[in-house]
Amino acid sequence: MTFKIAVFIKQVPDTDDIRWTEHNTIQREGLESVINPYDIGAIQLAKNVKFLLDDCEITAVSMGPVQTKDALREALAMGCDNAYLLCDKKFAGSDTLATAYVLSKFIKSHLNDFNLIICGYQAVDGDTAQTPSSLAQKLDIPQITGVTALKEITNDYSIWFKSSSTLNQQIKICHPALISTTINNTEILPDINGYIKAQAADIKILCAQDLQTEADKTGFAGSPTQVKKAFRPVIERSTKIIEENNVTKIADYILAAIQECKEQDDN
Amino acid sequence: MTTKTLVYIEINDNKTEIVSKEIVSHVSKHFSDTEICAVVVGSEQAIQACFDEINSLGADKIFIVQNELLAKYNVCVYSKVVAQLINNIQPDVFLMGATSYGRELAPRIASNLDIGLTADCTDLQLDTEGLLLATRPTYGGKMMATIISKTKPNFATVRKGAFKFKQPDVKQPEICYYDADFSGIENILNKTEVLASEIKAQPDDWTSAEVIIAGGLGLKSKENFELIYKLAELLGAKPAASRAAVELGWASQSIQVGQTGCCVSPKLYIAFGISGALQHMSGLSNAEKIIAVNIDKSAPIMNAADVAIPADAPDVINSLISKLSN
Ligand SMILES: Cc1cc2nc3c(=O)[nH]c(=O)nc-3n(C[C@H](O)[C@H](O)[C@H](O)COP(=O)(O)OP(=O)(O)OC[C@H]3O[C@@H](n4cnc5c(N)ncnc54)[C@H](O)[C@@H]3O)c2cc1C
Ligand SMILES: Nc1ncnc2c1ncn2[C@@H]1O[C@H](COP(=O)(O)O)[C@@H](O)[C@H]1O
Repeated sequence: MTFKIAVFIKQVPDTDDIRWTEHNTIQREGLESVINPYDIGAIQLAKNVKFLLDDCEITAVSMGPVQTKDALREALAMGCDNAYLLCDKKFAGSDTLATAYVLSKFIKSHLNDFNLIICGYQAVDGDTAQTPSSLAQKLDIPQITGVTALKEITNDYSIWFKSSSTLNQQIKICHPALISTTINNTEILPDINGYIKAQAADIKILCAQDLQTEADKTGFAGSPTQVKKAFRPVIERSTKIIEENNVTKIADYILAAIQECKEQDDN
Repeated sequence: MTTKTLVYIEINDNKTEIVSKEIVSHVSKHFSDTEICAVVVGSEQAIQACFDEINSLGADKIFIVQNELLAKYNVCVYSKVVAQLINNIQPDVFLMGATSYGRELAPRIASNLDIGLTADCTDLQLDTEGLLLATRPTYGGKMMATIISKTKPNFATVRKGAFKFKQPDVKQPEICYYDADFSGIENILNKTEVLASEIKAQPDDWTSAEVIIAGGLGLKSKENFELIYKLAELLGAKPAASRAAVELGWASQSIQVGQTGCCVSPKLYIAFGISGALQHMSGLSNAEKIIAVNIDKSAPIMNAADVAIPADAPDVINSLISKLSN
């Protein structure tokens, strides 16, 4: 039996390249888009699995506007076997709950015999890290959040290394399952064959009707959370500059400031 | 009381997570006219070990969900029982710490209940209609967004250190034992198994220290960065680092300040050789006073701190250390 992996990837604006409009919103035109760095980590892990199992197929999936095809083509060049774009006006404006719903409907309608889903830990544009857990719940499957490496895999289960801020763990999980990975900024260079295959490959586009999504569960209408206001972080401190060449005097100044803060405490 | 706010109290290793306490403090101080409920989930033994602490947090009511099946944290099981409790008590607002557990548990609960969730908030307000205004950094800290939700409860997770914990006046909360339905749970538990687990060395709750001494790339070497630890120790303060210093291996990720690290709320934050990138500063919005020592007068932090001292950081640190050692 072919071991089936779905890798969910998201196209994100390059956050190093952000420019502002005069209204303090993000200038979207001309913004470079890249595959979310954590999702490149997810593709890497999928390839590791494929390397260890004889018969394995990797399907890259993304929900987004038509331009997202570029990201999927890149995923194919990196070694994914199939690619699907979930694209419909009805999906625009989806928050993480609505996104997870659409992704779950894709799985149920087109890849219901999957063994493993691999996601990035978080997307760098929103940093929410919600989609993977939300999706695992919708599919009623177990999950591991934030794996760093694969230890062992068979068709029925896999063992992963996970590292959080407090623990290092090895966790075994039965398939079908979802994992997300904190591996990021790995650049997988497409090989020539991958590149040629990707140019010729057919990226299948699926719309709301193909996925049988309910209109009130997707897009703006299906998203409970809404941005009420967006603003640039303001720094409200007024700075006093201490011009002093004598290091000892600077040290005295700092010690006095610490003393002052401790005295406040006593009151 | 016109609204009900439920706070998830996370317990690990017989201790309540500081962020859970910070949330209760914030809600007590800033949400007017709300009943503060707390929920704690775990084995009887684990809950007993923290009971006094939870009892004195300032909640009006505490819901306890205890069962041996909850002895080990499992995201599928925990999300199921918390979702049951929420369906049962119907709070208006539900809050949880954005810890590594919280960040996977919260979306699973939200998805189970089909409700919205705003993650990693740094500010929360309740408007006069009882609607939660949840503010979080986005685009790598380059922008802030205030998010509302159409579904109830309004659900958010909160960054550690975004709020300050204050021990409240004595109050006797009502204790309610909640009988969750555990059918099918063993089957779920069998699907994942932790084979090995090792606790990383962890500095205690340093994010709520009064004085924090932080170092960045401007310290130039790992040896110089060691001076930060030494100075912090002499001062009875806690050390911290910028991400650039963490990436070079000068400091552990657990003491990184900023967007992808921790939020801190000290009375005094002293930054040595840190440029003041927005991602770093977003962890400092609740610091009372910031002193920056940077050789470059035009570094961003020299406009973002309360006091800017153009000077060589290692020199100043060495001078401080020699004064304190005498
Ligand atoms: C998505 C994202 C998330 C991020 N999250 C974080 C985060 O959580 N925390 C974080 O800190 N960063 C974060 N960053 C990185 C951030 O953008 C900066 O790169 C980082 O904070 C820089 O660290 P630094 O100030 O130590 O180094 P630099 O920016 O290199 O600054 C070093 C400073 O030291 C000064 N200096 C040099 N020599 C001396 C001397 N002898 N004495 C005194 N001063 C000297 C220099 O003038 C300079 O200002 C993030 C970036 C991204 C893209
Ligand atoms: N629109 C999307 N299409 C496909 N995968 C997504 C999408 N949004 C999020 N994901 C997946 O969920 C992970 C976490 O994203 P987020 O919840 O937005 O932080 C990403 O790394 C992807 O693996």
